Amino acid sequence: MAEERYIARFEDDFPARLRFIPGCPSGIYVKGELPDPERKTVAIVGSRACSHYGYSMAEYFASHLASAGVQIVSGMARGIDGIAQRAALDAGGVSYGVLGFGLDVIYPKENKDLFDMITERGGLITEHPGGTQPVKAFFASRNRIISGLCDLLLVIEARLQSGTSITVSNALEQGRDVFAVPGRLTDPLSAGCNKLISEGAGIARTPDDILRALGLSYEKPVVVKRRSRDDAFTVIKPAPAELTEKEKLVYECLDLYPKGLNELVRQTRLSVSELLEILISLSVKGVAKECAKHNYIKIWQNW
Amino acid sequence: MYSSVKTLALSGLVGTEINVEADMSDGLPVFEMVGFLGGEVKEARERVRTALKNNGITLPPKRITVNLSPADIRKTGTSYDLAVAVSLLKLLGEIPTDAADGMMVIGELGLSGKVHAVSGVLPMVIQAKEIGIKKCMVPADNYTEAAAVDGMEIAGVNSIDEMLSFFNGELTDCIRERKQTCISGGGYDVDFSEINGQETCRRAMEIAAAGMHNILLIGPPGAGKTMLAKRLPTILPAPDHGECMEITKIYSVAGLLGNGQGLITTRPFVNPHHTISQVALAGGGGLPKPGACTLAHRGVLFLDELPEFSHNALEILRQPLEEREINIQRAQAACTYPADFLLCAAMNPCRCGYYPDRSKCRCTDNDVRKYLGRISGPLLDRIDICAEASEVDYGSLKGNGKNESSDSIRKRVERAANIQHERYAGTGIRFNSEISVRDIETYCHLGAAEERMMRNAFESMKLSARAFHRMLRVSRTIADLDGSADIKVNHLSEAIGFRSIDGRYWNG
Repeated sequence: MAEERYIARFEDDFPARLRFIPGCPSGIYVKGELPDPERKTVAIVGSRACSHYGYSMAEYFASHLASAGVQIVSGMARGIDGIAQRAALDAGGVSYGVLGFGLDVIYPKENKDLFDMITERGGLITEHPGGTQPVKAFFASRNRIISGLCDLLLVIEARLQSGTSITVSNALEQGRDVFAVPGRLTDPLSAGCNKLISEGAGIARTPDDILRALGLSYEKPVVVKRRSRDDAFTVIKPAPAELTEKEKLVYECLDLYPKGLNELVRQTRLSVSELLEILISLSVKGVAKECAKHNYIKIWQNW
Repeated sequence: MYSSVKTLALSGLVGTEINVEADMSDGLPVFEMVGFLGGEVKEARERVRTALKNNGITLPPKRITVNLSPADIRKTGTSYDLAVAVSLLKLLGEIPTDAADGMMVIGELGLSGKVHAVSGVLPMVIQAKEIGIKKCMVPADNYTEAAAVDGMEIAGVNSIDEMLSFFNGELTDCIRERKQTCISGGGYDVDFSEINGQETCRRAMEIAAAGMHNILLIGPPGAGKTMLAKRLPTILPAPDHGECMEITKIYSVAGLLGNGQGLITTRPFVNPHHTISQVALAGGGGLPKPGACTLAHRGVLFLDELPEFSHNALEILRQPLEEREINIQRAQAACTYPADFLLCAAMNPCRCGYYPDRSKCRCTDNDVRKYLGRISGPLLDRIDICAEASEVDYGSLKGNGKNESSDSIRKRVERAANIQHERYAGTGIRFNSEISVRDIETYCHLGAAEERMMRNAFESMKLSARAFHRMLRVSRTIADLDGSADIKVNHLSEAIGFRSIDGRYWNG
């Protein structure tokens, strides 16, 4: 069990990056490690109610960056935060969680496994003493610590008005780089990201873009390893699944956004029975997934 | 002086023969009725006396006693009026003393002497036939209903006048031979051809109808879930004469048959609001009346907005879903009503209704899970098929006018039903959905390739073990629709595709 400790602002252990941000906390409570100041740190943030596109993108960026040795900071929340941190740990990297409540509280409960894992390979940081319960106001002020700890802030998915915009303005105030993952123009969940890009944020098309901005070279493609639940290390990229002609046709029709079965019927002109058979076969091969009843997404192969 | 006339007392769908005995003797003038009578039966005294008076027959100033025997059965309802009147008329010599011998008399009287329709005529006539009665007198408005019973002479009378003429042999044409009133199939005012798009639900409902699998429709508000469900009875196999009788009996007892309506030849569609109480769903009352699940017997019980139904109300569905009947115990009576229905439920995928469309839905995964968690697990275990009703876009809204009709879908369903009928002859099973876990290996045997496919699907898709048998039953039905003796990989795949939701289903 990792030890909890308190580090005051004037102590040497206090993260240097944090010391000079506006509104620097007078001290922080830490469980586990603090981010290594010698290594690059990226904060990955985004919507709590994210789409499957956001889910895939958070996993994609977090696992690549973590594999390249970048430390991932985020807020341990539902949605993008938790997905990115879990992906970073699963890829064998380290991650740090910044909380808006005491270290003895676990919130949200469904991230309990993440709370357990992160203190082993990373750490939890908060400015609130033990016993502080999650309160809305604290979440906004926690965001300045997330952006304060990082070299670069990456926004995966955000609405126009969202908590993420607070993190972004904090990051800009603190002089951190901001990158955003572009999305569809019609998708309100990506509207915040697209607006950031139009205002001059960096465009994150691949993890390469981020690594270059951090000044890290990235010559050889990183092989992402992922720790599966039974602790064995497996390479995530599967051998290209052998697909039949019809499977290819259906696979091409799928997207990272969920598509309903009726829409697929119209696009492929196959019968419902035939389509279901192909979709089940694609799911068994691990290249598609049913994300809600009769709504399917492609599982991204471009790892 | 003494006379007696036969009638029936109904408890649930079962009747008991009642003798209405009348006696006139000297003494203080009084008209008394005895025999464990409910309030409305006691009032019959006034109705009968006045109706007779208004037809020119005055009761003599004697001591008149009417007894409804056996006297230990509680009598309720207004169907005894006519029998009481007939027994008095025999006593007074207005009609021959052998009138109404071997005849059952049912009907309510108005003060003018008019005979009003009553509920429960069909089950009474059926019961009368069973106890060997050959003739029945019923209100004219109930004539068509009563005439549905084979081999029974029915007299439909409109008034005391007509009744008098009938017994005095002056009017005979109100007794007619039973006409064939049962028309098979058809008769629905909705049809599947009116549905554009919704290919997934069409197919799911066809499978559900073929194997009598309970079905859950999931979709955003306005996708047409109710519209689809209303058309489910139209593709079920047409009810045979016996089923029509069962349906009509229930509606007759519930007093829901219109005046002059004969046999119901369509399968019922019962659509209770989600605020329905336990009693309204199960049936109840002092003398239990049928509830929604009995009214849906041989048809479809549609529960729209499933998570909004009260937990207690849904729990009572467990008995009828298991045993296809429901036992209701009350202080005055206990009765068993049939409740063999196809359950069709509909719900939104989340509280706002638009998950997984993230441009409209802001529910977190947790919210979605919580919403799903509101449906009781045991009920979910009885649902074999689940399908998505998607929002319809303009293109398919306009339609191309070439949608398949209910008739042509029903042909396939009936073919599959016949295959099942032959396969399960003598086993007590009627449809694939009724295969017990013990018999599943016998009827849903999988070949090597199918076993392999199933194992792969289980491992890679993390299917739940509880769903396993349900998927096998559904795949049996899909194979039957396909006319295939063996369950093949494509049948299994489709069954997996239509599998019902389970707890961990809706994750990321």
